[in-house]
Amino acid sequence: MALDLDKIRSEFPILERKLPNGKQLVYFDNAATSQKPKCVISAMSNYYEQYNSNAHRANHTLADEATTALETARKNIANFFGTNPDQLIYTSGATEAINLVAFSWARQNLSKDDIVVLTEMEHHADIVPWQQLSKEIGIEVRYVPIDTETFSLDMDAFSVAVSGASLVCVVHTSNVLGVRNPIEEIIQLSHSSGAKVLLDCAQGAPHEKISFDVMDADFVAISAHKMAGPTGIGCLLVKKSIMEKMAPFMTGGSMIRTVTTEGSTFQEGHAMFETGTPRIAEAIGWGAAVEWLDKFEMTDIHSHVQELASWTAGEMRKIPGIRIYGNPEDREGSGAVSFLHDSIQSLDLALFLDEGGFAVRTGHHCAQPLMDALNVPSTNRISFWIYNTMDEAKMFIEYLNYVVERFS
Amino acid sequence: MTSENDWPDSLIPIIEEFRDCFDSMDRYELLFDYAKKHPTPLPPSKWTESNQIVGCQSRAHVECNLDEDGNFIMKGGADAQIVQGLMAITAIAVNGLSPTRVSQLSPEYANTMGIQSSLTPSRANGFLNMFKRIQEEAIKLS
Repeated sequence: MALDLDKIRSEFPILERKLPNGKQLVYFDNAATSQKPKCVISAMSNYYEQYNSNAHRANHTLADEATTALETARKNIANFFGTNPDQLIYTSGATEAINLVAFSWARQNLSKDDIVVLTEMEHHADIVPWQQLSKEIGIEVRYVPIDTETFSLDMDAFSVAVSGASLVCVVHTSNVLGVRNPIEEIIQLSHSSGAKVLLDCAQGAPHEKISFDVMDADFVAISAHKMAGPTGIGCLLVKKSIMEKMAPFMTGGSMIRTVTTEGSTFQEGHAMFETGTPRIAEAIGWGAAVEWLDKFEMTDIHSHVQELASWTAGEMRKIPGIRIYGNPEDREGSGAVSFLHDSIQSLDLALFLDEGGFAVRTGHHCAQPLMDALNVPSTNRISFWIYNTMDEAKMFIEYLNYVVERFS
Repeated sequence: MTSENDWPDSLIPIIEEFRDCFDSMDRYELLFDYAKKHPTPLPPSKWTESNQIVGCQSRAHVECNLDEDGNFIMKGGADAQIVQGLMAITAIAVNGLSPTRVSQLSPEYANTMGIQSSLTPSRANGFLNMFKRIQEEAIKLS
């Protein structure tokens, strides 16, 4: 079913904004963070205005309401991701979720000579924790290369790399290329080899239904803020049987059961990994975000962003000097289009686009090994989401043509 | 620090040129022109970690020395043309001055030209970091 874009846009006050130079904002930096609908902002404000209190601690009315809201959000978010709340650990985002796997599972279950497989497409958040672990305990880290012609993972190389591996960490959808990896095949090959699978779904979750129990990954990392939720919260989805083999890497606060001068005991399940005061407002905001997203079919959101990316990339390919990195025309891809111009440096181009009101991302996108593989220092990137329109895409193409004609 | 009436002579016509620009895109175009007119460019082959400007979004490098008459010479290079243009204008302003005078200059000229307000805060910081680096070098050479 087609999305009602006028109605959707009316729920995002920021999209009305004009920039200091008077230009209308066109927000094309959704892969960095999405905008938030009014219901998310209201849910968070309402918590602070009406029942701000610490969860899981006191017996007064406000504390009960805060605790109920926090746990209802967990239930709704888990349900949105096709699993039960016992398998959802709140984190600050996907980065902390991946670090949680590295600290709480890998340090307990891996040792020297264990093999962790990564890909050249990974975000730094899914590289550095494993490099650090390698330094600490001597695990071997293998990188699966990408084919720089097709911008896809070299699955032949993956089949070789996975042999003997204990853990495979793969990005579901590349934040740079917009390429969706063949995760079903990756999970199947990894499990056949006896390896656990960690999926970084930060970019996939905003436009594709993530059904944790069905996809059968062992760990899934997600950030709320890329899918209409607030910053500062995300989750690690982890199979219950694996969670039982994890040890806490931060201690104190909510995760404590008893403390004596002789020692401490900890809560069980997800509570063991949620230290300190919970991110109550953020969880409530994320809960509101998934409730809002649940009004749509994720397949409709995917078709919408993919159509925008595909059309825009096609028009960009007609502009002299533009090179696109990725396959935005691929039906499975995300709404991200990375590109460079052969004579206008990426930072200059970003500044010109900003002058026209277009918010785009420029840089290495926290994926320097991928930049090295592509042999570029940085790219420009536009990324669409649910509220972007074809009119905005057309305005972008018109403005990009003007900039290229004037400055190349 | 210098006041507006105390800019180096070489800078005054450039400031006027930028003030005459219709809008920020015109100013950027002019910066692109100046990027091509850098009097003392530093080629990429001479870009090193030690002469890199920290805190600039693009790659930017400066090398400062004295010529045979003891006057300040700033060589600079950047991958972004807007940064290169700013460097070129700065080089035109400071080359040939005494290092003491360079150390007393104000970066305010970028604002007067209408450039700094066109830059995003991170870009503006990049320019200020470049200027600070040049002044640190000037103090060392004084």
